[in-house]
Amino acid sequence: MTALSRPHLPAMRPYGREVVREVAPVPAAGPSDAEIARRFCAGDEQALAEAYARWAGQVHGLAVRAFGPGPDAEDVTQQTFVAAWTGRAGYTPAAGPLPAWLVGICRHKIADTWAKMARQRRSAEAAAADARARPRAADADRVDDAVADRVLLLGELDRIGQPQRRIIELAFFADLTHSQIAARTGIPLGTVKSHIRRTLERLRDRLEVDGAALHP
Amino acid sequence: MPHSTPEQLALAALGEPLPDTDAAHLAGCAQCSAEVAALRRPVEVLAVPELAGTAPEVTPPPQVWTAIAAATGVSAVPPSSGAEVVPPSSGAEVVPLRPRRSRTRWLTIAAAVLVGGVVGGGAVALTRDEDGSGSVVATAALDPLPAEDASGRAEVRDVDGVRSLQVDLDAPSLPDGYYEVWLLQPDAVRMVPVGAVHRGDTVLPLPDGLDLGAYPLVDVSVEPMDGDPTHSGVSVARGSLQR
Repeated sequence: MTALSRPHLPAMRPYGREVVREVAPVPAAGPSDAEIARRFCAGDEQALAEAYARWAGQVHGLAVRAFGPGPDAEDVTQQTFVAAWTGRAGYTPAAGPLPAWLVGICRHKIADTWAKMARQRRSAEAAAADARARPRAADADRVDDAVADRVLLLGELDRIGQPQRRIIELAFFADLTHSQIAARTGIPLGTVKSHIRRTLERLRDRLEVDGAALHP
Repeated sequence: MPHSTPEQLALAALGEPLPDTDAAHLAGCAQCSAEVAALRRPVEVLAVPELAGTAPEVTPPPQVWTAIAAATGVSAVPPSSGAEVVPPSSGAEVVPLRPRRSRTRWLTIAAAVLVGGVVGGGAVALTRDEDGSGSVVATAALDPLPAEDASGRAEVRDVDGVRSLQVDLDAPSLPDGYYEVWLLQPDAVRMVPVGAVHRGDTVLPLPDGLDLGAYPLVDVSVEPMDGDPTHSGVSVARGSLQR
């Protein structure tokens, strides 16, 4: 006996009407990364699903490395794809591959999560310090400051145009030397060096103006 | 000796080795050293291992896509090479139940829980007890669906061939609406309403002849008081009946 075996109640049939979704097998050669990126920009929902199938492992790998497997990492991965989708107008294929953009968003979410954890720890410690009338440890302050600076500078990175941003990201996050960056990007060595210099200055200035850490 | 170029100092801040002459100069020049130290600050903030671009890939659990789909309203399903849709025998599967009206919620079937001692198709063995007080023929642990705060336990009891479903539900009270229990097929395509349940214990009769092997999932939904007898699409807890 099922809900569907009640022909005199056709209104009940929706139980079984539309729930199945075909899970299409992956073609041996699916759409290219660039094709997915293009359709992603255009708001094609299937492209979000395909981007997830292709790059969620990479994004989640970063999140798990930062927080270990579990709810925090899962939140980061979820937030990354939701933010990418809702903010897809901010992505242009000319600025680089879609997975690199996703990873950039993931870094933000990781830094935001660190900041949130620091806030929670602070308020917990504040409550405890209240009770015990004891000042909190200075090294805890330093950790919090580093967390805040990370959020600050990731935001500043977002405002840096290409190819400067790509260059500094390769230096920071891929640990490439300037000659390796030049080889990877095809940008002349001298240009890579001057971009690195100016970008580091810009980030340093941002830290000095708005950074949380006390600098000597 | 002339100062190092600004570009060389930037590379030094990134930790690149400098040519010998620059390295020798830097060691003895307070001005250049201070410059490197200043440029190194952003490097220390951002060039940390936790943010590096390469980490071993990790397949997210299926509820991550479910949450993304719910948050974006996207109804597409990732190709099966993705982590979230794999054959039921080896993992989990997400089956969205199209909501009625504008509600966008998803039913998640953790098909992985079906592997193992699941009530087999049509082969529910009624382990009749001898004293006639009835016996438990199948149980299900009801686990919260992502972002939900409901859990519980369901037991199928058999008393002289008459079966009932006892549900012990631990869930938030609802300002309006009620909880309803359903038995689902593994694909969530077909389901049988079993009845409204309260928080705590509720015993509901099961239809005679209902094949529990074909409907092995116990699903608890939140139903609005709208007179619509179909599943709202809002499931809060679910579990698989096991012998």
